Amino acid sequence: MAAPALSSLRAHVLLLLLGFGLLAAVAPLLSDYPLEIGFRILLLITLAEAWNLLAGYGGLVSLGTACFFGIGAYGFTVLMNFAGLPIGLAMPLAGLGAALLAALVSRAIFRMRGLYFTVGTMALAEATRMFMINYNGLGGATGLFLAQDPPGLFELYMIALALLGLTTALMTLLTRSRFSILLRAVRDDEDAAAQIGVRTFRIKLIVFVVASFLMGMAGALQGLKLGAIEPYGMFGLQWTVNVLAIVIIGGQGLRAGPIVGAIFVVAIGELLADYPALHLALTGLILIVVIRFAPHGLVGLGRRLLDRGRQE
Amino acid sequence: MNDRAMASTEPLLRASGLVKRYAGVVAIEQVSLTLARGEVLGIIGPNGAGKSTLIGLLGGALKVDDGRIEFDGLDVSAWPAAELARRGIGRTWQIPRPFLDMTVHENLLAARYSLHAFEPSAKAHAACDRILDLTGLADAAQLSASELPLMRRKRLEVARALALSPKLLLLDEVGAGLVDAEVGELIELIQAIRTEVEGIIVVEHVLRVVRECCDRLLVINFGRSLAAGPTSEVLASDEVAAVYLGTAHDRKLPLPGKDRGPGLGLAALLAKPSRASEPAPPLLELCDIHAGYGQAIVLKGVNLRMRAGEVVAILGSNGAGKTTLAKVIGGAIQPTAGMLRIDGIDHSQSPAHQIARLGLAQCMEGRRIFATLSVEENLLIAARGVSAAERADRLSHVYSLFPDLKQRRVSGGTLMSGGQQQMLAIGRALMSRPRLVLFDEISLGLAPVMMDRLYLALAELRAAGLTMLIVEQDVERALELADQVHVMEHGRIALSGTADDVRRNPSLKQLYIGGAD
Repeated sequence: MAAPALSSLRAHVLLLLLGFGLLAAVAPLLSDYPLEIGFRILLLITLAEAWNLLAGYGGLVSLGTACFFGIGAYGFTVLMNFAGLPIGLAMPLAGLGAALLAALVSRAIFRMRGLYFTVGTMALAEATRMFMINYNGLGGATGLFLAQDPPGLFELYMIALALLGLTTALMTLLTRSRFSILLRAVRDDEDAAAQIGVRTFRIKLIVFVVASFLMGMAGALQGLKLGAIEPYGMFGLQWTVNVLAIVIIGGQGLRAGPIVGAIFVVAIGELLADYPALHLALTGLILIVVIRFAPHGLVGLGRRLLDRGRQE
Repeated sequence: MNDRAMASTEPLLRASGLVKRYAGVVAIEQVSLTLARGEVLGIIGPNGAGKSTLIGLLGGALKVDDGRIEFDGLDVSAWPAAELARRGIGRTWQIPRPFLDMTVHENLLAARYSLHAFEPSAKAHAACDRILDLTGLADAAQLSASELPLMRRKRLEVARALALSPKLLLLDEVGAGLVDAEVGELIELIQAIRTEVEGIIVVEHVLRVVRECCDRLLVINFGRSLAAGPTSEVLASDEVAAVYLGTAHDRKLPLPGKDRGPGLGLAALLAKPSRASEPAPPLLELCDIHAGYGQAIVLKGVNLRMRAGEVVAILGSNGAGKTTLAKVIGGAIQPTAGMLRIDGIDHSQSPAHQIARLGLAQCMEGRRIFATLSVEENLLIAARGVSAAERADRLSHVYSLFPDLKQRRVSGGTLMSGGQQQMLAIGRALMSRPRLVLFDEISLGLAPVMMDRLYLALAELRAAGLTMLIVEQDVERALELADQVHVMEHGRIALSGTADDVRRNPSLKQLYIGGAD
């Protein structure tokens, strides 16, 4: 039992290292357009992985992505502008800020389960957005400018790749270890899990904090790229909805889900860039079809077809 | 040293003056109990007496409102469930709650890792394998828990609790729904576990388990202790017989209505017979039905015919295919081959709601009461689209059959005791004024005295002329009620006949009690 698990882990890590090496190696050869697309895909995968950890593995279906994303962006800009910290320090600290908020609200928000939790996180996101719009200390509705110039696309791409590397490492740690069994137990039946000694609050807190940390870092990165942040954009519901669509289309609770989903969603967005209304309608239609016919997303569908092919 | 010497003489568990109220309704009132080390204590009582609540309090899933629980020399009254589990209290759930997305082996590993996060994995796997062997699940270790049938899920409940290496094991109705041979296995299992843990508390309706496993009994009724003492003394007490045992140990009373005498005037609840042409086709006819779940074929060619007014019982051990057959008849799953004819017309591919519209009502296994609706709403939902007067009329007939429901008509459907919920499920099936009602395991998990009452109600319905198909574990009760009996084995009907024929047939015992392999 133990030996194959170990060797499959080794294969998994090797595959990931190979993938990341390749993505880093081709970067200097790319022109601006592929770098831009690559950056967007990497950022969305990071966010989607974090949300997948919460919802797919932990059963905590959150609509609060934008809240932690926005906190990360604001925290980062404030740390850069007012404390003069370097990017490499300001970004993780911004992520920690988002994680801290998650820890602070956890006691209240974990009192709610299932759909109530979902609605609770959405209320949290709306509340922080309204606060940022109305609080003048951080620029109010107009937002803040980053004091220094944003770095070039190549640097941004490499930072996004590094952030995804960190995300992937954390995900591997949390979803391929003993922790994942406890996490799935909590997802399947919280009361039954408690009855076999799982400290359910602690398990949920860990994934909530880790996911919020990653979302905060992603927000910081987006803030760095734009050079100017304002509450409507950074705390906007579209971040929450995009990430949710990516994971559902790709496949919930599956490692490859967010990757496939992000590529798919960005590709559709690019193809239909000139027809925004059609883009929205089509994404909605695809979501409906996927939820109805492929509950485990494109990755799950692919696996099923592969299995069927193998059997025949 | 001193502590340990103290601990061995201390009882394992001492609960005193426990009180639990739900929104003003008292579920447990001043119940006290002690469990010595090495002892097996049984808790019995009618449905709704508070047994499961008591298990919930001891296991920490529910908070006590008053009273004190001492476990292993510590006051644990306010501890949450997870901490109690880590301290050594393992419990099972009455309705199994395995982690469905995991394998059986992982279900146990979850318990193991929650306690010993850094244990070498070889040791953890070995510990789980040993428990799976002990509980007879070794062959299912790598199956997904969702693939296990109900009875094996119950074993998994016990196995998962044992994976904690608990000192105290709380078993909540693990015997419900088992046939004789399986009850024997369960008793062996409990005897085997006795050496694994320091004490066991068993909540059970299956009297054989109680009699053969428990050293002492505590009887509770209406949330209070009624009697306590050594098992044989308690079971012999008249008071206990009156509130709990009913006629279970002395079933000589004939059911009313076997002679089709006048009943409660329940005819209003029955659909009027269609004044059709002379040789009416059978109401329900199954021809060579095959069905299953995915790859697993459960039914391998079932033939069955029912005429209006007949009472037919389907018997058979667990896994014989009884519930699958009920699902096919109700339209919940479609047969892969064969014909399901209603009034002579093939309905094998019709969805459940269409079959319901033809007058086939289901009283499903596990009751399936709508939790968010009141008792009366649960009933009315089955009688949509009829005039208000008609609705009121049917409602009053259901209430006359089950006066308990009338008393509880505004309370939530699932807030009642198991027996009352079963009454509600039966009443709901009747509200659609069915031509045929399918009763699937209605006696499952009920106190003997409650089974008496339900079967009395069925006898009334029979007297009124209702066509009934009864899927049942309890052979005696089914034989008493049915005209025609079919015994299933391995997805086929192995034996058919009138109730008397089947009762006299020596192969019944062999088929039903197993050993037919």
